[in-house]
Amino acid sequence: MSNDAPSIIDPTAAPAPSRGRAPTPGRRPSTRVYWLYLLPGGIALTVVIIVPFAMNLWYSLHKWKGGLAPMRWIGFDNYVDLMSDDAFWRSFQNSLWMIVAMVIVPTLVGIVLAAVLFDVVGKNIGTRTASFLRAVYYLPQILPIAVAGIVWNWIFNAETGALNEILRSLGVTDPPNWLGVPGLALPAVMIVLVWIQIGYPTVIFMSALQRVAPELYEAAEIDGAGWYRRFRAITIPQIRPETFVITLTCTIAALKVFAPIYVLTRGGPEGSTLVPSYYTFLNFFDKSKIGYGAAVATVLTFVIIVVAVVIQSLQARAERREEEGR
Amino acid sequence: MRIRSALSAVAVGALAVTMAACGSGNGGSTGDGGGSDASGGADGELSCGEITFWHYEGDDSAMNQSWLVAIDEWEAATGGTVTVEKQTFEQLQKNAKIVLTGDDVPDVMEYNKGNGTAGQLASQGLLTELDDYAADYGWDSVLPSSIQTTARYDEDGLMGSGPWFGVPTYGEYVTVYYNEEMFADNGIEVPTTFAELEAALDAFVAAGITPLAEAGAEYPMGQLWYQLVLHHADRDFVDAFQLFDGDVDFTSGPLKDGTDTLQEWIDKGYINPNASGLTAEDMGVAFIAGKYPVMVSGSWWFGRLNAEISDFTLGQMIFPENSLNAGSSGNLLVIPTNAKEKDCAASFIDTALAQGAQNKLAELGGLPVAGDASVITDENVKVLTQNWDAIVADDGLAFYPDWPVAGFYDQVVSFGQSLLNGSKTPDQALDTLGTFYQEGRADITGE
Repeated sequence: MSNDAPSIIDPTAAPAPSRGRAPTPGRRPSTRVYWLYLLPGGIALTVVIIVPFAMNLWYSLHKWKGGLAPMRWIGFDNYVDLMSDDAFWRSFQNSLWMIVAMVIVPTLVGIVLAAVLFDVVGKNIGTRTASFLRAVYYLPQILPIAVAGIVWNWIFNAETGALNEILRSLGVTDPPNWLGVPGLALPAVMIVLVWIQIGYPTVIFMSALQRVAPELYEAAEIDGAGWYRRFRAITIPQIRPETFVITLTCTIAALKVFAPIYVLTRGGPEGSTLVPSYYTFLNFFDKSKIGYGAAVATVLTFVIIVVAVVIQSLQARAERREEEGR
Repeated sequence: MRIRSALSAVAVGALAVTMAACGSGNGGSTGDGGGSDASGGADGELSCGEITFWHYEGDDSAMNQSWLVAIDEWEAATGGTVTVEKQTFEQLQKNAKIVLTGDDVPDVMEYNKGNGTAGQLASQGLLTELDDYAADYGWDSVLPSSIQTTARYDEDGLMGSGPWFGVPTYGEYVTVYYNEEMFADNGIEVPTTFAELEAALDAFVAAGITPLAEAGAEYPMGQLWYQLVLHHADRDFVDAFQLFDGDVDFTSGPLKDGTDTLQEWIDKGYINPNASGLTAEDMGVAFIAGKYPVMVSGSWWFGRLNAEISDFTLGQMIFPENSLNAGSSGNLLVIPTNAKEKDCAASFIDTALAQGAQNKLAELGGLPVAGDASVITDENVKVLTQNWDAIVADDGLAFYPDWPVAGFYDQVVSFGQSLLNGSKTPDQALDTLGTFYQEGRADITGE
């Protein structure tokens, strides 16, 4: 559904301030040919995104059990029902926690890790060690989520799990029931998500740091700036475009997160780790409430579009300000 | 159960479809009312060529082994041949409604029982009505009535009434497994009544042992709850709860009493509260490892328990003083509407219900619907089968707690977790469950 993400976040597209200005008059006749090149993409967009999205919207206005069952037009009733559906609101509330676990924490930790790997490990110990560590941080991104989920289930198992075995050996008599109690399952899932996510910003930030002109650091160093001052004054502003890209892609991923929830908790215990995509899935496949599930999916899509637009406009504003400042 | 619940998911979709159920079971007059004799239903006048049989049981499973016996007997009796084509359930589940509309369909096919699966195909007119065959071959008298429930579907695809659309050849039920050594070592008598069961569980708690292996993140906790509900229930309740024949009360009666008993069991420490996050696999492994003396779960565990338990003696008993128990028929053999050799297919199904195939099932612990437990040599298999026979003879199968309405599985799991975690009182948890049930029921019945 939101496979359109890459087009929004293409990093080469973002910092190109001169694009979109009036074309030179001489080029006008040939622009028509360009439309031909857009055709394949246009067809794909229509087939893969626009048509399914329209169908989803259409379904959401019906009461329908799927299959060959009759569809009954009910207008916006599904959306009205959503407003008073606790599970729906809880799922979006949990989305905020997903953003904490998949965007905020990994980005902050990733920026520090990247700086440490690049500045400290890379320069003092060797770039090979730095690349090795970078690969290790990235490993959870490569592992199939189903495999990772099963392993984490073993770790968190309240009776036989590695975590509680360790806690017991340290003298904790009644270690927590990680995935069985509503108050703990969400934090446990968040820990797994942080573990999965952390490699992504680290790798992006490390390549960003390579892009930053070394003269800036050298000049700052000559002026007597310490590591932290250089990090604050040079690194962070210089890698702002990457920060926006990571924030945008990870926020979208956090809003539509499904697989980790499916393999770890299935939305439980007691619905405490329900997220919008899983709630859609439940309605579609478990309850056969296709129209209602489609309504949840539609709301999720609009939320993602709004969030993406907000982040993009923040980025555009930041860039404009930077340009004006120069 | 795992598969079942996933299934009930997919397809209540087609329940409301009212395609005229076609296929009138044309013919079937050649049978002689057998069903107990391999050559009985298919002798003499019926000459068959090749029939195609689709199923998805593993090669070593009791089901497959018994069908192999049926194939040999049927081929010898009719001169025909059976071509077996192995499928996967997932594949069939997705494709059946498309494949079965074509010409290239099997003559006999295994399919999952229940509203969401066989019921859906029946309501879409894709399965042959088997009433005439059932009468001619005597299936309606061979199969016990609670087994017949899952063989019959009405025009909305709801099980329990309407014409025959499939024939089960085996069954399954929820039973009590126990560790004989743990009882003996702690000087605790194996219970025969409900009161003795509670006394035994109390004695284990007093000895510092949590007695019940449980799993709250999957089906087992819901089945224990249902066993306790059934302890207070009668057949009328089951008909109302499962088949929508009558009103269901979530504030008093069996549901309330069973829930209160479960809460009591949790409060008394019969169940480890950590179970709320554990899976069925965790539960089984812990029981096999000898960590818990008692496990209440399905006959589908039996093969594994019988094979893997080496440190103690496995005991089994029917849930004490329950005249109703969670359980049902196994999967169905069905004849697609577009099948070409319907009469021959029906005679093959009859052979699968005959002594040879049924006794093979019995020997392997596969719980035959019309078998003879006396042929069994393995002691544990014998007990499992005798208990099954007793429950069936007593019309004691009450299906599963998550069957009635679509999406109920997750609700029942969540309900059990609420009780284990103490996050809701029994009344609150039942109220939530009841609301979902009534809405789902109204959706299906259109009331």
